[in-house]
Amino acid sequence: MSTDTPTRGKPKSRAVRHRGALLVFLAPFGVLFTLFYIVPILYAIYQSTLVVERDGTFGAARQVFGGLTQYIAVFQNDAFWQSIGRVMLFGIVQVPIMLGLALLLALLLDSPLVRGTKFFRLAFFAPYAVPGVIAAIMWGFLYSPNLSPFTDVTRAIPFLSGELVLWSIANVVTWVYVGYNMLIIYSALLAIPQEIYEAARLDGAGQARIAWSIKIPLVVPALVLTGIFSIIGTLQLLAEPQVFRSFTSTVTSDFTPNLLIYSTASVPNVSLAAAMSVVLALTTFILSFTVLKLTQRRTQA
Amino acid sequence: MAISRIARTGAIVAAATLALTACSTGTGGDGASGDCAPSDGPVTLTFTSWLPGVEEAVAIWNEENPDIQVNVQTGPNGLGGTYQNFFNQLAAGNAPDLGQIEYDAMPNFRVQDGLENIAACEGILDARSQFVDWTWSQVTFGEENAVYAIPQDTGPMAMFYRADLFEEAGIDVPTTWDEYRAAAEAIREEGGYITNFSQSDINQFAGFVWQTGGQWFSNSGDEWQVNLTGDESLMVAEYWQGLLADDLVSANPPWTDEWNAAFNNSEVWTWVSAVWGANTILSGAPDTAGNWAVAPMPQWEAGASAAGNWGGSTTAVLKGSDHPYEAAQFALWLNTDADALTAMNRTAQIYPATIEGANLPVFTQGVEFYGGQEIYQVFAEAGTNVDPNFVWGPTMTQVYNDVADGFSGAISGTGTLMDALTAGQQSTIAALRAASIPVQE
Repeated sequence: MSTDTPTRGKPKSRAVRHRGALLVFLAPFGVLFTLFYIVPILYAIYQSTLVVERDGTFGAARQVFGGLTQYIAVFQNDAFWQSIGRVMLFGIVQVPIMLGLALLLALLLDSPLVRGTKFFRLAFFAPYAVPGVIAAIMWGFLYSPNLSPFTDVTRAIPFLSGELVLWSIANVVTWVYVGYNMLIIYSALLAIPQEIYEAARLDGAGQARIAWSIKIPLVVPALVLTGIFSIIGTLQLLAEPQVFRSFTSTVTSDFTPNLLIYSTASVPNVSLAAAMSVVLALTTFILSFTVLKLTQRRTQA
Repeated sequence: MAISRIARTGAIVAAATLALTACSTGTGGDGASGDCAPSDGPVTLTFTSWLPGVEEAVAIWNEENPDIQVNVQTGPNGLGGTYQNFFNQLAAGNAPDLGQIEYDAMPNFRVQDGLENIAACEGILDARSQFVDWTWSQVTFGEENAVYAIPQDTGPMAMFYRADLFEEAGIDVPTTWDEYRAAAEAIREEGGYITNFSQSDINQFAGFVWQTGGQWFSNSGDEWQVNLTGDESLMVAEYWQGLLADDLVSANPPWTDEWNAAFNNSEVWTWVSAVWGANTILSGAPDTAGNWAVAPMPQWEAGASAAGNWGGSTTAVLKGSDHPYEAAQFALWLNTDADALTAMNRTAQIYPATIEGANLPVFTQGVEFYGGQEIYQVFAEAGTNVDPNFVWGPTMTQVYNDVADGFSGAISGTGTLMDALTAGQQSTIAALRAASIPVQE
């Protein structure tokens, strides 16, 4: 405020230089984000408003504005809502199991009673380093009734049958992602100040009590984060069921929302596929947001 | 894994002549003869195909034509991804100059305006007499002055069977579908399966319907009629539903390792398939070399000789090619030249769509893998018994997906094959309407 004129110039020029640096550092992100995220989304929204018109059985197609026609078609599409229902069921069962396991493993790693934590940390995380498609192929062979190394088991339990295949896929997803989620929770555990544990021990708390009353409440934000990631991942399931289609035909072309969008696009009916994508994105957003709000309210209460 | 599904589908004509073609878009090679002129200077063409070893035939062309070089891009079979790539590339305006397209997908590409009319290119219209009639009407949609692709191969169907196993077990090789069922029961008692029901690839089923005289689509020029639930289709569906219900056929998903393994370990004894299936067995079940033989496909009536067709491809010049003249010349050469046809048969066991092609030495010799039998004679005979009037619809990808989903459901216990056809009928009409393709309700 009270600075004199010569110094007033300085911060101004520094601000300008600062803005240049900001632009330089933000540009790569901004350009890529716009090109590969914003533009495709806007294009999908645009595409979803188009309908095709033609004359005669082989007339040339014209794309014209059709308003919400495709969205009405999406809401009337049973297969779409069945696939959403299927992945919801998947999520309700698989996400709690996976996060429960991840939490348990993280607590074990964090416990002073367990030895060899470095080895186990790496071992638990290793499946995440296996690309999802490779993991699905590997499990596909393991489940296969004739090609599995454990054919006695796979012939007795039809892992790839219509009833079980959803849960077989859930097992693959859990196997891949449990270590990843464990690592996020484990990092949150490491961030807890040691003084709290000291205070707890002074109060006579054992390891189990510390885990239950201190560690778990303090990693709830990490659990919420991994939970939301998992919900998004579940609704967008594609790679694992797609790979499983080459092991079993019980995984139909409309098994998950993304598979249905893929097969709709290959008809090709890209406008309907675009409308489905937009609805799926909104559903994912609403669901993640609801979970976030609910958990926030509970932790604040 | 995409072995040799060369050409799964076959077909015939959308017989309708369309009044509107003349005024469609007007770009590219449509219309007058001036539209298909040679380019100046050397050109390089791109060609996408999934034919095993097609590079060998192309190499012969490249050797002979230094100014028209062809680069082959190989991909998965059509429904396995290549068609979707084509549709995307066409939308983006950078499709390859040439693409492999099966007969059953031709109407789909035509509806999407993906095919260049090469009728005006030198020598193309005159080539008509070299090809088996039905294949030519398939690529012209029965129109005059229109050629949308050059036929490559056909897929007349016959029955591959394990001669050794049938003989050991003392079971007669079936000639009718009734005998086929009786044999299936006998084979089941031996611990095997007579065949694998192709649940997620509906082309085989379509071939059975074709043999029976059914029709799934017809095109009056003003609108399409869809008829997945005709008497013939339901009869075929009920036959196979009966075999499935009594556990007389296995249900491994087709074109998988599991499915190959079932052939290779002698669990599955027969396969009613097309001529190119010879390559599928050869590459998928190497341990069974010498034990297979080929017989005409089973008949609904004793003494009849009807055959279905499964597959068959064309080489199409895709919309937007800068060199339609050169592309058309290459497509014609690839599918008529004796050396090219011989090379493609050697690597992919395909059976040419030209009349002369059937007389090439390679098609009159015995095949070692099939116990030295002259198997192509059986398929040549079947080829003459294929009903030339089967019409494919304009959204076959969707039809196959929807019916396959229903068939898979039937196999895991929800509904029947007949239900799947009924559902497919409805979803197909809906899909045509969604694409604004006129369809009779």
